[in-house]
Amino acid sequence: MIQVLNLLLGGVFHAAALFLVAAGLQLVFGVQKILNLACGSFYALGAYAGISAVKAALAAGVPAPLFVLVLIVTGLALGVLGPPIERLLRTIYDRDEAFQLLLTFALVLMLEDVIRFVWGAAPAQLGNVYLLYGQVRLEGLRIPVYNFIVIAAGLAIAAGMGLLLTRSRFGGIVRATAENRSMAQALGVDMARISSRVFTLGLVLGTVGGALVIPAGAAVNEMAIELIVEAFAVVVIGGLGSMRGAFVGSLIVGVLKAVAIAVYPEAEMLAVYVIVIAVLLLRPAGLFARVTA
Amino acid sequence: MTALLEARDIVQRYGEVQALSGVSLVVREGEFLSIIGPNGAGKTTLVNVLTGLLRPTGGSVAFRGRDVAGVGPVRLAALGMARSFQLVNVFPGLTVGETLSVPALARLGHAGRPFASLARHTEIADSVAEMAELFGLGDKLKRPARTLPQGDKKLLDVASAFALRPDLILMDEPTSGVSTRDKTSIMDTLVQAAKRLGVKAIVQVEHDMDIVFAYSDRIIALHQGRVLADAVPAALRADAEVVATVLGAPR
Amino acid sequence: MIGALLLAAAVTAAAAVPLTGREYYATLMLPFFAYSVALLGLNLLFGTTGLLSFGHALFVAVGGYTAAYLGSALRMRSLEAMLVVAAVTAALVAVPVGWLCVRYVRIYFGMLTLAFGMLFYSFLYKFYGLTGGDEGMPVARPTLLGQSFGDLDKTGYLVGPYYYYSLAVCVVAALSMWRIVRSPLGLSLRAIRENADKAEYVGVRVRRYRFYAFVIAAVFGAAGGVLLVVPTGLASPTLAYWTHSGNLVFMLLLGGFSHFFGPVLGAFVFIFLQDQVMSVTEYWRFVFGVVLAAVVIFLPHGLMSLVTRRVDA
Repeated sequence: MIQVLNLLLGGVFHAAALFLVAAGLQLVFGVQKILNLACGSFYALGAYAGISAVKAALAAGVPAPLFVLVLIVTGLALGVLGPPIERLLRTIYDRDEAFQLLLTFALVLMLEDVIRFVWGAAPAQLGNVYLLYGQVRLEGLRIPVYNFIVIAAGLAIAAGMGLLLTRSRFGGIVRATAENRSMAQALGVDMARISSRVFTLGLVLGTVGGALVIPAGAAVNEMAIELIVEAFAVVVIGGLGSMRGAFVGSLIVGVLKAVAIAVYPEAEMLAVYVIVIAVLLLRPAGLFARVTA
Repeated sequence: MTALLEARDIVQRYGEVQALSGVSLVVREGEFLSIIGPNGAGKTTLVNVLTGLLRPTGGSVAFRGRDVAGVGPVRLAALGMARSFQLVNVFPGLTVGETLSVPALARLGHAGRPFASLARHTEIADSVAEMAELFGLGDKLKRPARTLPQGDKKLLDVASAFALRPDLILMDEPTSGVSTRDKTSIMDTLVQAAKRLGVKAIVQVEHDMDIVFAYSDRIIALHQGRVLADAVPAALRADAEVVATVLGAPR
Repeated sequence: MIGALLLAAAVTAAAAVPLTGREYYATLMLPFFAYSVALLGLNLLFGTTGLLSFGHALFVAVGGYTAAYLGSALRMRSLEAMLVVAAVTAALVAVPVGWLCVRYVRIYFGMLTLAFGMLFYSFLYKFYGLTGGDEGMPVARPTLLGQSFGDLDKTGYLVGPYYYYSLAVCVVAALSMWRIVRSPLGLSLRAIRENADKAEYVGVRVRRYRFYAFVIAAVFGAAGGVLLVVPTGLASPTLAYWTHSGNLVFMLLLGGFSHFFGPVLGAFVFIFLQDQVMSVTEYWRFVFGVVLAAVVIFLPHGLMSLVTRRVDA
């Protein structure tokens, strides 16, 4: 029983990071109708930058338990990249989807080498700093408290996003624009500003996600292109453009992966792809279909 | 005259809304039938049902005795019915000649052949030349459809439906978007082409009453999902109720 | 007419490369031939039919692994056999995959094909007992038309008989694809690209013909895959990775997807540019990212659009 719990927790932990990336993907797709292949790259950027920031902070004498804050701040700070990248994507908003996808693919290529240039090709990691928060002992298993913190952070951000989208004026504008772009424009919404803000928000969700998750693992050059496939899986299962879908989808993918690894390691990602294909066949709009103009 | 298309008690419900409540009509060989009615009367829904795009909630549609409810456009074309749309629909990047070749190939069953040579397909070339001539597009065969003026695009659109050499053609507002001056010439072209190609019946949905009365053998007036009247033009004009609901002030 | 002459000139020039003694460039031409074949197939899907597949590398991998499997496990070393079996295998795989994928368009088609590509990658990577896992499967040197050329060393074989064989396969592939594009099916596919709804209304079986295009593209992809793995002697799972599919699409865009020879030009420029850039910097991906962005933004119809007006793909 405890093994099952451990398994589920691992799955949910992974799901938290996935959710953040997928939420960013959904947000950008909903408003700008662009499927951003570079969302995984933002995640990777957050991870690598987070590691450097924490190492620098620790060296500068920042008390170690504050490293979580350092990670979050790093993720947020990377938001400065949002407006210029969005400006680049803006040049092809009105073009065929294929071009948009390919421009984001160009970003993937560029960011991959930027990461390689700045941080090198060897894996980077933060060592055991995440154990600072202690571990929960349950019948012979030791689960780092940090994992719970990340899961809690994921939930908090999910709730925050929910509130932002449903209660705030910004959220209202975002949902209106996603629903019917031309109408929103006709009603006076400044497309350029909204696009820039939404894209930055999406980017930051990815970078914060990457930064938060990295202490428990290692940052490798391939993480961006590996994550995109999982993020796609989440988005397909949950439904393109749906936040709720991102939440449920990431839980499904995260837990499924954890179960697969435990039961039949060969099938790890295979199980996810099979689910993706099954969803695309049976309910192509995803579990939480959105009808947008 | 044989009945080509028979619709019986068509009922179409969209959730709570009843778009059609028991519409029946018959289209016979040699007829030019117009369907008229105010917006929301159910004309487009009826046309969608008649052309197998929509499976009606109730009732039946039969073409030459065969049930065509919900068969879909490809099957419909194979059975001998073609349809054109109100909004001009072209293949922007294909030339006029190519546009007319597509339905011709489909009609012959050759559309899916990967190794036949299109350039050497004389039967298609002849068919295309004939269609283009009938619709006044003979000198524009090599022009991409997107470069044509709006009127020619409309003609091309309708011509591609005719190129299927259907027994029955259903046109949704064939003169919409066309200037009044050109409307009669387009209608004449259409009727001429139909005659030459052996089209046995024409059904149109039309708002322009001058056109309707000038060309129709019979007119069906729809109102709120029901057939208000089904008669020859003269009789319709005399019907006060029809005049009030559909025609507006008498001309 | 000018086109035909230019083509003849290009083929002659290609045939002359090994004779110049510049072995290095001759060996670079080999992946160029392989990718040209694979891309001719992909462009039938994208340029002609308007379907953007992000999983074409799946079939390239099918081709590569078929060649490897035939050569090592079944000891069938004939390149003809490899090409035929790869084509058949690709078609068999493409039937169910294509049947599923062509039900969707645009983004969903792209995502579904990406998923299938990665599914295959996962399979190749994880089932190492069967596939060699991340180490890949070795590809034995195949016989060409029955000749083993055993007296030639590896380079001699590759820039000699294998070079001309590849060139011949490339030419045959181009001629076949030309025929297909100029056929009734080709026209129907273009009609589907231009306006799929209208195509249905004039009697075109949209889903069925998209399916045909998918299967044909798969066959060309696998043939390219066979040619791709022989020089390196190894079929590895990365052949199926989604970024490989991405690069294939990159090449299409670079050369120009609206022109029949755009894909070939794209493959050529990509390979030679990659070679040049790699010799200068290890950050070639960044450079290529910039190139792709520039092409997408400023030259959407690729390099071909600089050279000539459209000759429809």
